[in-house]
Amino acid sequence: MANRTDPAAKSIRGTNPQNLIEKIVRSKIYQNTYWKEQCFGLTAETLVDKAMELDHIGGTYGGNRKPTSFMCLVMKMLQIQPEKDIVVEFIKNDDYKYVRVLGAFYLRLTGIDSDIYRYLEPLYNDYRKVRRKSPDGNFILAHVDEVIDELLTTDYSCDIALPRIKKRWTLESLGALDARKSVLEDDFEEEEEKDENEQDGLEEEVAHEKDYYRGRSPARDRERDYRRDSQRHRDRDYDRDRDYDRERGRGRERDRDRDRDRDRDRDHYRLREEKEYGYERDRDREREGRERDRRDRERGRRRSRSRSRSRSRDRKRRARSSMSPRMRGAEDGKPPEESKKKKGKKEKDDGTDHLDPEIAEANRIRASLGLKPLKL
Amino acid sequence: MIEVVLNDRLGKKVRVKCNEDDTIGDLKKLVASQTGTRPDKIRIQKWYIINKDHITLKDYEIHDGMGLELYYN
Repeated sequence: MANRTDPAAKSIRGTNPQNLIEKIVRSKIYQNTYWKEQCFGLTAETLVDKAMELDHIGGTYGGNRKPTSFMCLVMKMLQIQPEKDIVVEFIKNDDYKYVRVLGAFYLRLTGIDSDIYRYLEPLYNDYRKVRRKSPDGNFILAHVDEVIDELLTTDYSCDIALPRIKKRWTLESLGALDARKSVLEDDFEEEEEKDENEQDGLEEEVAHEKDYYRGRSPARDRERDYRRDSQRHRDRDYDRDRDYDRERGRGRERDRDRDRDRDRDRDHYRLREEKEYGYERDRDREREGRERDRRDRERGRRRSRSRSRSRSRDRKRRARSSMSPRMRGAEDGKPPEESKKKKGKKEKDDGTDHLDPEIAEANRIRASLGLKPLKL
Repeated sequence: MIEVVLNDRLGKKVRVKCNEDDTIGDLKKLVASQTGTRPDKIRIQKWYIINKDHITLKDYEIHDGMGLELYYN
């Protein structure tokens, strides 16, 4: 009774609106005292009063995953399904920031894609601080625009899986939305020029050139989004990316060329190569094959994971390594294989080249999670 | 290196290789990568004792081959 959705409510995304929250979290909300006491028989008007009393946002916390009052109110909104005007009012109101975030969250769950972008993007300009309850029960500082960014870019927030929405550039190309105009447009232009001079500019330049060809706005949005998203993470990601490549023996074009030249000059390497080539060939080939599989798998995973990196960077990386190492090796003769094998032995200290494939695989997963390799 | 077995009694039984000095949080990440759930949705228990994320397996005296219970939050 108290937990049933309003029978006049329409189904969201093909299902009972309350099913947008998954079963376990839903049960936790139903058993919560705040839900039972305060959220009983709420209507749209009384809901506003309750929303004004909110003082933090968050998902479930604590050892037994207690839901926050924010989540209970989201659930209540899903249950009574207020009209779109009311939700937009929630978002537009300026006085109560938690009401705003509540409205934004509800719209993200139930609205259509173009509406979501249209109403949530102005909230990027709201820099007020909000209190966020972390999963271990402590409060963390966050800002409204951070929360909105999380809603628009990730697909999980406050212990609720957010429904998938189309990317912004898809909607732009469909004509449903205009290009994004940020309030900080001028500031960004200055920053762009400054950064271009500073950074190790290969990939940035390519991205920038591609912008010029493409015509400014969508690519610029992408770049801006990329910048905005990864301003904090950029250094970390970039360095990690470079080291990651080098460790895996993929390396950058420059390093491989340098190695190749060095090896070709030294005769004794080539002699040794020819001797080894006999019995080590099989092991080499197996490792190459495994490397290639790993590389393909990682490439796939990388592609889906890297949202904050610009797409042109990915394209460039893919274009570089699109030729398989075997073919490259066939062109230049034996030295590349030799140098790769040498590099592989030297730089894999995270155990991913262990002889036992199970352990190597386990170590690879651990490395990708940031854990140390297995101690055998 | 030890191998622990996690069973959720609903059909999911996972064997995970890990170090003794890994924390429960790390173990949850490994399990999540194998089962496909999110690591913060996983709860590892041993008969009503919910294992906390920041304590190592060694301190919980989890040895090789031991079975743990897998629950969801």
